[in-house]
Amino acid sequence: MDATLSRAQRLRKHLRGQGEALVFLLPAYALFLLFLVLPLLEALWLSLHQEDLFGRGRVWTGLANYQKALSRPEFWKSAWLTLKFALITAPLELLLGFLAALLVYRPYPGVALFRTLFFLTTAIPTAVAAVAWGWFLHPVGGLANRLLASLGLPPQPWLTSPELALPTLAVITAWAGVGFTAVLLTAGLQNIPAEILEAAEVDGAGPWTRFWRITLPLLSPTLFLVGLLVVLKSLTAFGQIHLLTRGGPAESSMVWIYRVYQDAFFNFRVPLAAAEALLLFLVLLLMAALQFRLLGRRVHYG
Amino acid sequence: MGRRRRLWPTYLLAGGYALLLLLPFLTLLSASLRPEADLYAPGLLPPRPSLEAYQEALTRFPLGRFLLNSLLVSSLITLGVLTTSLLAAYALARLRFLGREALFGLAVALLLVPGEVTFLPLYLLVDRLGWLDSYLALTVPFLANPLGVFLLRQFLRTIPEDYFDAARIDGANHWQMLRHVALPLSAPALGALAALTFIGAWNMYLWPLVVTKSREMQTAQIAVNFILNEEVARWNVVAAAAILVLLPSLLAFLLAQRAFVRGIAMGGLKG
Repeated sequence: MDATLSRAQRLRKHLRGQGEALVFLLPAYALFLLFLVLPLLEALWLSLHQEDLFGRGRVWTGLANYQKALSRPEFWKSAWLTLKFALITAPLELLLGFLAALLVYRPYPGVALFRTLFFLTTAIPTAVAAVAWGWFLHPVGGLANRLLASLGLPPQPWLTSPELALPTLAVITAWAGVGFTAVLLTAGLQNIPAEILEAAEVDGAGPWTRFWRITLPLLSPTLFLVGLLVVLKSLTAFGQIHLLTRGGPAESSMVWIYRVYQDAFFNFRVPLAAAEALLLFLVLLLMAALQFRLLGRRVHYG
Repeated sequence: MGRRRRLWPTYLLAGGYALLLLLPFLTLLSASLRPEADLYAPGLLPPRPSLEAYQEALTRFPLGRFLLNSLLVSSLITLGVLTTSLLAAYALARLRFLGREALFGLAVALLLVPGEVTFLPLYLLVDRLGWLDSYLALTVPFLANPLGVFLLRQFLRTIPEDYFDAARIDGANHWQMLRHVALPLSAPALGALAALTFIGAWNMYLWPLVVTKSREMQTAQIAVNFILNEEVARWNVVAAAAILVLLPSLLAFLLAQRAFVRGIAMGGLKG
């Protein structure tokens, strides 16, 4: 049909197609450009500049902000706290969610109720989760210290001691994420073909053997992927920390993202904060790249 | 029969575990139902249950306004994301044009940019636009998201060509095919994306914290922080406010659990 059209007609048709596509794409991509790409570029620009002392705008300083950020002991302390936070949060969240998933991935009468109860935490807002734990760990009224007392143990300064604050926040974060990991791991467990497990059962493998030799190995790609997601999530945890400890006591829960917030909005060191944010982005990007590689492999060979 | 008997350990384990997980939340509920005098009374159940704390929270703080703000912001964001994502996804999945793969690649690349990294320059941008402390700041930057475009594009590609061919033979243009073929057929994906987006918007914390200044513009999440600071001695009031902030999201979850679960599974594992 196209052969009967003149070159001009074909060009017009082509351009009309392009124009139509543009109309469909414009809303989303204009917003991406303005509110994602532009800020990212501006962060980069900011991080390479320095506020001029005489108020003449910003002057180019190259990598000086990065050098400054990386030479501050506070920065390394925050990076270390973030790592510690992630190393407690991620395995715990994975484990808690996995336990829930194991209890609800198979259908049985009443399973819907338990699924609802376990998946519910995905709907609990961070601020509410934080307040719930704030009360649960309250020095006087909290149940946690009461339970300790009934066991004859001394009360713990959960959120008020520099030693305990960060681990406590990590536990809270893991708790708040149980629903998330439970949903993903339930889906993962349900994707394991039942025939394999049945065949193993016929061959005389007990539930323990089946779990360790079949379920776990077959689930391991999902576990790894979900684990990565949880790590990524924990690296940017902010709300619960802001609500419960404000990064304290004595900066003991001043994780990386909180340091960025602090430097930008309280110390007014915007270029430095931009550099810190981009360094965090670099870490997240490396993690995400790992995730995409694995995802790609799974799609091709899975 | 034997199978039924073997269910009891599961019930016991699942029930016990659920109780353990929900314990902090249950003590919060209990605190919210206590009058101030009973706040520190032992026991999980309030000795003299009362709604005093709720009354106090509702009269001392404009909780209705906070919740309305959150509802408005989350609804607008959800509506925006569904619209912009479906339009872009349709073009990426169904139209032929120059640079299609590159634009899809851009959406995938932008998936990797977490909001926590761009919040600082985004704040400066919103400040320059004069949007601070307004609904514009709370909604406009989030009316499109790469995850939505990505998920819907993947979904639209699974719709068999035949449906579109049938519509094309009837003389439908792309707008009509979007409206009458793509839209109804992607209802499950749209529902999941809506649930995911809504809950994400409802739970936003860092962004509303930095862009809202006046009390009237605060969202429910930020209000919780504010009430916690104001009422640090009266935990029953704090608890009541928190429960009131929780209720809408809980209700939304119970009403659309399937969509939520599908949304998390889709978003988490990226299709």
